[in-house]
Amino acid sequence: MLLHVLNRSPATSEVYRQALAAMGPDDRLLLIEDGVQGAVGTLVARFAGLEGRLYAQEEDLVARGLAPLCAPSVVRVDVEGFVLLTEEAQRTVSWF
Amino acid sequence: MANDEAQGVEGDLLVILRHGPHGSSWLREGLDAALVAAAFGRRVTLLFMGEGVTALMPAQQSGPLGQKGTSPTLEMLEMYDIDTLLVEAEALARFGLRAEGLMLSARAVEAKELSVLAATHSLVLTF
Repeated sequence: MLLHVLNRSPATSEVYRQALAAMGPDDRLLLIEDGVQGAVGTLVARFAGLEGRLYAQEEDLVARGLAPLCAPSVVRVDVEGFVLLTEEAQRTVSWF
Repeated sequence: MANDEAQGVEGDLLVILRHGPHGSSWLREGLDAALVAAAFGRRVTLLFMGEGVTALMPAQQSGPLGQKGTSPTLEMLEMYDIDTLLVEAEALARFGLRAEGLMLSARAVEAKELSVLAATHSLVLTF
């Protein structure tokens, strides 16, 4: 299982499509920095099929005022959770 | 013709803000340009487009490492007489936001009005 890390907003950048294309069936996706915009509104639909494997960095949601809008299907993780995810994964792959 | 559709938006400079806070310095630089122009007496219109609409989220905070956000700068706009704030309606919908819930009073503009805005301002800066 790989951890894919995305730091660009799906509202602006198409790189999320490359991340999705490279993901295996058990891989996890963590949204960080501007990537957390993908956890709100209709944008979360871009990650359909990743329920339970889609994570968002709590601190980045809070800094942007987006925490109240975070979709319930997205697992929110703090920095410690980020570290745990990297521990559980064989490797991490960054998308930026 | 075009002026009628722009619903009375008159300005010298249109600053288009297309990036959210924290992730890059684009938003801050766009706001700085707007403040400088206003300080020199230009009539500035701000258009928040795409992810730029998240700049107007209420209850923003400093970054996880203590980085200063942009919302304090936004609160200064009124002091510089920048009161024409526009938000792209489609982007609001995409983020599940409503114009009434934003931290500053802003008017939602439909897609067809965007080209009018770009055409009726003598200078357009995109950030």
